[in-house]
Formats: sequence, C-alpha cells, structure tokens
Amino acid sequence: MARLKKFFRYENVGMLFVLPAFLYMLVFVGYPIVHNIILSFQDVNAGNLVKGTRNFILFENYLELFKDSVFTSSLWNTVRFTVSCLVFQFIAGFALALFFSKPFSFAKPVRGILLVPWMIPITVTALMFKLLFATDIGIINFLLRSLHLIEKNIEWLTTPGTAMFALICANVWIGIPFNMILISTGLTTIPKELYESASIDGAGKVQTFWKITLPLLKPTIESVLILGFIYTFKVYDLVYVMTSGGPVNATHMLSTYSYKLSFEMFKYSKGSAVANVLLVILLFVGVLYIKATTEGEDA
Amino acid sequence: MKKRKLTALLTALAMTAGILSGCGAKGGESAPADKAPAKDAQPAKDDAKEESGQESASSGEAQAVTIWYYWENEGHQVTLDQLIQEYNGSQAQYEVTAKYVPFADFKKQLSIGASADELPDIAILDSPDHASYVDMGIFEDLTGRFDVSNYYEGTVNSCTVDGKLYGVPFGANCLALYYNEDMLTAAGSSVPTTWDELVETAKALTTDSVSGLAFCSVQNEEGTFNFAPWLWSTGATSYDINNENGIRALTYIQNLINEGVMSKECINWTQGDVMNQFIAGNVAMMVNGPWQIPTMQSEAPDLNWKVTLIPKDQEYASVLGGENYAVVNGGNVDGALDFLTFATSEEKVKFMMNQFGYISADKTIAESQFAQDSPYYPFVEELNYAMPRGPLAEWPSVSDALSLAFNQVITGTATPEEAAAQAQATIDSIIK
Repeated sequence: MARLKKFFRYENVGMLFVLPAFLYMLVFVGYPIVHNIILSFQDVNAGNLVKGTRNFILFENYLELFKDSVFTSSLWNTVRFTVSCLVFQFIAGFALALFFSKPFSFAKPVRGILLVPWMIPITVTALMFKLLFATDIGIINFLLRSLHLIEKNIEWLTTPGTAMFALICANVWIGIPFNMILISTGLTTIPKELYESASIDGAGKVQTFWKITLPLLKPTIESVLILGFIYTFKVYDLVYVMTSGGPVNATHMLSTYSYKLSFEMFKYSKGSAVANVLLVILLFVGVLYIKATTEGEDA
Repeated sequence: MKKRKLTALLTALAMTAGILSGCGAKGGESAPADKAPAKDAQPAKDDAKEESGQESASSGEAQAVTIWYYWENEGHQVTLDQLIQEYNGSQAQYEVTAKYVPFADFKKQLSIGASADELPDIAILDSPDHASYVDMGIFEDLTGRFDVSNYYEGTVNSCTVDGKLYGVPFGANCLALYYNEDMLTAAGSSVPTTWDELVETAKALTTDSVSGLAFCSVQNEEGTFNFAPWLWSTGATSYDINNENGIRALTYIQNLINEGVMSKECINWTQGDVMNQFIAGNVAMMVNGPWQIPTMQSEAPDLNWKVTLIPKDQEYASVLGGENYAVVNGGNVDGALDFLTFATSEEKVKFMMNQFGYISADKTIAESQFAQDSPYYPFVEELNYAMPRGPLAEWPSVSDALSLAFNQVITGTATPEEAAAQAQATIDSIIK
C-alpha cells in the first residue's frame, strides 16, 4: 500500500499523463526514425526491396555520400539557404513588428493582412515566384528592363547562382510574417512602464531599443531563430516546385536529394542516409532550442 | 533534472519528426491501396485475392481486379472507364476498378506498395520504368500468354527482360517535329530535314518575341526522353556518350542556345509547357509527342501547324514512349489476364487508341489507323525510327547522368567534352 502510494507521488502521476503522447510518438515518430536508420545501413534498392535479400553494409552509404559531389553541394546549399533566409526574414520581420507595435489606425488589420503570405499553400507561392522570375515573361525582368537597370533579361531560374537567389526571395517572403507575428507577441509582453521610466530618465529611442527591447526579447528571439532554422532547413515543396533541384543540381537541398535518390532512382538506402544526416543536424538544433528555452525558465 | 532532460529529448524528437514524414521514411506513410477507388463500389479485396487461385467463381461474388494508371487527361480517364464498364458488363466473374495515381507519385506509390504488399493487380506504367519493377520481382511472367509478334519491336523490348515477356504494350508514341506553317511561309523557309537545315530555319524564324525551336530539357526522365533523338541521330547510344558522336549531339544543343534560336528556359519547361508556348505563338518549331494533338486542336483551332520527322544528323531517330500493361504477381492474376485479353483485342485497341490520340503498338492496326493527311500520320512514320530507352533496371540512374549532361551544356556550366566525360564516368560506374 505504501509502495503504491509512493508510486502515485506527484511527479509519477505527471508521467502517467505524458504516457499517451509518449506512446503515440513511439509509434509514429520513433518507429519511422529507427526504421530509417536501419534502412540507411543496408543496401536496399529496386532489386532487393521485395525479395528481402538486403545486406547490412554499415557505413558504406554514408561514406559514398560524402564522396558524392551532389550530396556535399546539397548539404552546403541547405546551410546557405537557411542562413540567408533567416537573416533577411528576421530583420524584415523584426522591423515590421516594431512598426506595427505603434498605435496608429489600421495597425492591426494591416498586420493581419501581412500574414497572408504565410497562409498561402507553398505550392501556390512557388508557382507564383516561378512565373515572377521567368526569363521572358516574368514581371521582375520586365520591371528591371523598364527601369533601364538591365539591358538583357536575367535568366533567374536557369543560372545556378541566381536560381538560389530566387528561392531565397520566395522563402523570405513566406518567412517574414512568421517572424513578425512571433516578435509582435514578444513585444506585447514588455511592460509599458519600463519605456515610460526610461523616457523620464532621458533615454533616446536607440538607447531604449538596445537596452530594453532587445534584452527583454531575448527568449523570443531565440525561439524565433531556432524554429525558423528548423522550418527552413527542411524545405522541400518550395524547391521541388520552383527548380526541382536544378539547374544542374545547383539548388538541391538535403530533402529534395533524399527524395530523388529514394523515389526517382530507387536507391532507398542512400536516400534514407541523406534523410538521417538531415535528422542529426535538426536534432542538434532541437536540443539547442530546448536548452535555450529551459534556461530562460530557470532564470 | 533528469526528467527535464527526457522531456527535452522528446520535444527535440517531435520537432524533427516533421522531416521524416516528408522524406526517407516509408513506415509512416499510409498504404495507397486502402483508399477505395472513387468510381465503383468495390467488393472486399482480400477475399477476392484468396479466391483467385481457384478456377471458378461460381459463388456469384465477382472478384476484384484493381488497376493503377497515371493519366491526368480527363479524356483518357473517361475512355479507360468506358472500357472497364464494358468489360464488367460483359461477364460476371470479375469486377475491375481503376485508380488514378499522379505521375509524379506513381513510382513512389508502386515502391511503397511493393514493400507494404499493397499493390494493384494491373499497373499501366511508363515503359522505361518497366525493367526496374521486373527487377524488383513484382511482375508476372507473361511469356506465351499474349501474342505480341505483330507489335513494334521497340515496344515489346521495353517489357522484355532476359528474353521473358513481363508486360503488354498499351500504346506507342514517339517524338516528332511540329512547325508553325504560317511562320515558316512568312520566313520563306522550307521544312528542315537535316540538322544544318534545322539551325538555318530556326534562325530565320527567330524574332524578338519568337524562339525558333523548343523542346523540353528538364533535368529528369522527361528531359532525357527529349534529348534521346538528338543523341541517337549521331549514332551514339545511351550508354556510350563520350565519343565524337555523343559530343557532337551535345555541341549541337549548345549551339542552338548560343545562336539564340532556343530559349534556356527549356530546362524548366515540361512538354506541356513547350506545347503551350507553341500554341501561344512564342515558339515556331517544337519537338513533342502526338498526345498533345487533341489539346492543340481544341485550344488553338486556328493555328496552322504540321508535323514532320525530327531532322537528322547521320540517321533519323526518335524515342519510343508510351505505357505498358503489367500484371502484378501475387494478386488476382487470373482476373488480370482475363481483362487484358479483353482489352488487347483488336477492336478494343482501336477504340482506345483513337480516343487517346495514341498510336497502336500493333503494327497492322497502326498502319491503317490514320489517313495520310492526319496530323498523327507522321508519328506512325516516325515510329519506324523510334527506339526504346533501356530496358535496364538501372535506367533511372543512366537517365539521370544523361539529363545532367545536357543541362550542364545548356546552362553553360560545362563544355560538351566535359559533360560527356562526366556522364560516361557515371554510366560506366552503373553498368559494370
């Protein structure tokens, strides 16, 4: 009896409440991850998927991947894409959040409208940007030509360097509202009194920003950046629709390359190895996120 | 503190879980065959499968036979449905239902289905993929069960592996050259028959708003399909590109871009996009297949266009496309064979081909299928020069190497020599 009582102590009861979610994750998250890891150590392809004659080849898939120039470039592309997107969408989102925190008429409805890019299905956004950046019929080239900034049409999506730029533009456009709304929410948690007393003490706008707004927003900023990282790092649909990883593999991300290996070239094990590299990186960032947020609670 | 770490780890796992549903993992994906086809009420599939071994189905319950196909064209879907209804009405033993799987997902669904044991009884699939699935061991050996002796050799080859027949060609198509006759007349050019004439004609037709020539050059199977006629016309094969012939083909494509007669945008244009540019008058000549004809006739009835053979370098060449029927082993094989016997009869083939705008894979039917002045007629002639891709289980990898090569050349990221050498190295590593 005493043991049972001891078992139902406060913390243990808490664990019981977590149990359903834990079981769900075990089946729908844990199993695919484990399955995928096992798959990546085998040599599964079209020939032995069904026949069941798969062999364990340990790290051979991974070793081959790091010799594969498309893999290394897609790893580098994913990093480049993520960092560029984060920088631009964070700065723009922050600026907009500050702007809309001012009490002017229509501030709230306009902020609401700005959420639209985030709500549009990504496939639609991708098709839209594909047309905007089209060489001969795209409006971007038309505008640039009309302004006499360029003489000849820029081949945005058919040149390796500019194709990445176009992808980043599209993704920043989607990401700005996400950053804006989270930072706006963060701003409302800062007590007004702090600003009032600061202005009484003679602090200027710039000083208030650096000394009050930014430090008090630190937890929000950390969350926004890390969630943004995860959200951007696993980009798939946008790239698939806009460039499919082209031209000449120049915009392949880990996700699109994994799909291509698995479902276009029937190299299932290699594809899952790429997915696992993605998983490890995101797991690392996820742990960082937890650390950042729990430290905030401790403080 | 320990608990916090556990929670932290779980949360981290949950956050990363999103990626796995998107890629790599197959365990979590729902099995496609469970979603019942929209068209008909379907008798319990499992029962039907168990019964399929027995000779008769005198029990009165019709056995289910399922078909997967990928035609997004509504006319195609309606026609297939008509054929199925007719079959279901003609006998009581089997009940056929069809399910549409989008082309982009078709390979994926078949792969997932194969590992999850959730396959249809019949698949109507793209011919170059046939060998991969035969290698996977999911198709029934049909040798001797269908008479394909009168079919075009290429179509039969596409479903033959190691001398055994693993499918029946559904229909054949190939690529040919479409030209805008009004533009050609206005420029005073004649119909090109050789590569040199083609460049000259394309130059004459190119203006500020019109490209002389276009063909789909996307970096995937669709692009490889469109590149093959150029490669093969030089005498090079798909597996042997790093030689004088292969490099000449790549150089020719590079020249089309450099001369400005073909837009670089072709690397982002599907065959459908190319056709749209053609009927919009932005492109004067295009390489495309006969399946575009019904759309072109309804979308642009006033456009004055004609079809001719793709101009040649050394010899005329085109690439064979089309679908094959395949019977999945372990399913309702008897029912599938019975339906296929019905569907491949001369009368039904004629009906299907005419409705589809396809050319029959059966030579005799094909030759009498169209009148001389029909826009389809040149395709029948072109079919004599059409060769299949593969058949090879590793064809998707070979195709990937080829499509990378011409994309490198078109975008100017590699010279034809470099691209050919790189493609050859990849192909050699695939075919040992």
